Amino acid sequence: MIAAGAIGIETWLEVHHFLVAEAELLDNRRFEEWLELFTEDVEYTAPVRVTKKNPAPDVVAQNLLFDENLASLTLRVKRLATDVAWAEDPPSLTRRLITNIRVNPAPADDEFLVKSNVLLFRSRGDVGRHDIVCGEREDTLRRLEGALKIARRRIVFDQASLGTKNLAVFL
Amino acid sequence: MTTMASLKTVERLRATVEPEQGRIPMFIYTDPEVYELELERVFGRTWLFVGHESEVPEPGSFLVRDMGEESVIVGRGEDNQVRVFLNSCRHRGMRLACEDFGKVSMWRCPYHGFTYDSAGEFMGTLIAAPYERAAYPEGLDRKALHLIEARTDSHAGLIFATWSQDGPTLDQFLGNLSWYLDLLVGRAEMEVVGAPQKWVLPAGWKLPSENFCADAYHTATAHSFLARLGMVKGVDFGRDGYHVDPGGGHGLGVGVHFDEESYFPADLRDEYRAHLEPEQLGLLDRVKNLHGNVFPNLSFLIPNFIVVDGRRVSGMMLRLWQPIGPDKVQVWSWHLVERNAPEWWKRLGQKMYVQTFGMSGMFDQDDTENWEAQTRNSNTALWRQDEIMLHYAMGISGEPLTEFPGPGDVYDGKFSEAAGRTFYRTWLDLILDQRPEQ
Repeated sequence: MIAAGAIGIETWLEVHHFLVAEAELLDNRRFEEWLELFTEDVEYTAPVRVTKKNPAPDVVAQNLLFDENLASLTLRVKRLATDVAWAEDPPSLTRRLITNIRVNPAPADDEFLVKSNVLLFRSRGDVGRHDIVCGEREDTLRRLEGALKIARRRIVFDQASLGTKNLAVFL
Repeated sequence: MTTMASLKTVERLRATVEPEQGRIPMFIYTDPEVYELELERVFGRTWLFVGHESEVPEPGSFLVRDMGEESVIVGRGEDNQVRVFLNSCRHRGMRLACEDFGKVSMWRCPYHGFTYDSAGEFMGTLIAAPYERAAYPEGLDRKALHLIEARTDSHAGLIFATWSQDGPTLDQFLGNLSWYLDLLVGRAEMEVVGAPQKWVLPAGWKLPSENFCADAYHTATAHSFLARLGMVKGVDFGRDGYHVDPGGGHGLGVGVHFDEESYFPADLRDEYRAHLEPEQLGLLDRVKNLHGNVFPNLSFLIPNFIVVDGRRVSGMMLRLWQPIGPDKVQVWSWHLVERNAPEWWKRLGQKMYVQTFGMSGMFDQDDTENWEAQTRNSNTALWRQDEIMLHYAMGISGEPLTEFPGPGDVYDGKFSEAAGRTFYRTWLDLILDQRPEQ
């Protein structure tokens, strides 16, 4: 299926622009503005990935790496703004590459189901090291008063044992 | 193996590690020679945590875990007994199980088909069976091909294994710690939620282990965002309570509150009462947080209770600091909950666990920062001529309470490193091969 087919090229471009602009906010640590992209009832989660033999599923939905709502995302952002958020002060330098955007209609008229791939480059400190975190995001985007908002995000990481020291960064 | 280098290391350890004086040299956190000795004499000899019984619920269920750097299979056999085997075929050393967990009726090596039953008995080369007689006309010695098996035992659902066939029993190894461990995992029927989180941290394994064992003091600084955001008034969550040195290198801190009512769900009280002694239940009623470490590398935590959606909750965890090199650990983090708990306690407890601890947890993030930077400094301390000695003397002149319901040396207030000093004494005795009298 061609992603733009079911929803029209203009909507696809709008979603693409939205996700790229969101990544820019995160890469530039404009977290308060980033929070404004979510609906009041947002669910932001990430299941645990495991190593399994075919054809068993490799996503364990009962256990989560993120289990957030707007209140807890706001708390995380407030924490980052204090002078004692040691894990991200000095902050990581990050770059998010958002690709493979797929947009499909949702059951609700004002929503879209959006999948995208994310590659996060993260470096911190002085020895030239970096971490790469890769995954797929499944979003539900909702149109509210003309603007797109994230009503649901589920991040499926592509590692059963993540190679970055913490998830003090958002995806 | 004792090489010239390790001899030199052993002498340096003997001369510089002085737990009872509260002095520990920095190089031991990450020295590769020390690490070699640890794999041989600590991880090769003591009891190690390998899983929770709820993770192997029925005959055939298995987990792939590590003991030191060795991959093992933790399997529940057809006879319902849990056994631990080296995950290595007796023919060419190939791994028998290559997935995190699953269910099988036998272990079949994917290389040459050497196959073992759930008790580790060699059964034959199943897929290649028609050719087995041609390949081995003299037959295969089934006894000699039995899987290498570790000694296995469990306490309150926690499965432990050891390569030592003649050392202390698990009961002796846990000693006084059992009384406190029961508050954590023995108070009710517990179950692991889903699968553990796993990630890799550039830190020596002892740093996080000793943090959970004997470091209540760091919370006031490392986790001071709580006070900054007005979520707590001061550092009382780090101070009020007891520091416990149960012996054996284990250690814990019990944070207590002064409210009338227990913070745990009233619905579970009957089950707690059936599982615990009255003195244990009395202490559980006052618990507002509980942290500790089972020597060498299994940490546990009931995070400080907080109010979520109008209810007081906490989401407990087990945490294994699995060494994968002198300055690297694979972190395993399990969330456990009472199987018969009300839904709200399960749901909010899990949310609380994920948001405070675990890979994205707001507390965990700041801890990883410290352990990584300590590890880098330790690497540079290796070659210094003048030894860098670190300070481990908090509470060194403190006297244990004479009356306390639980066993071990118990200190009033959590600000003490007594159990940390015992952690390093136990570690040093193992490394120097000075086995304490049993």
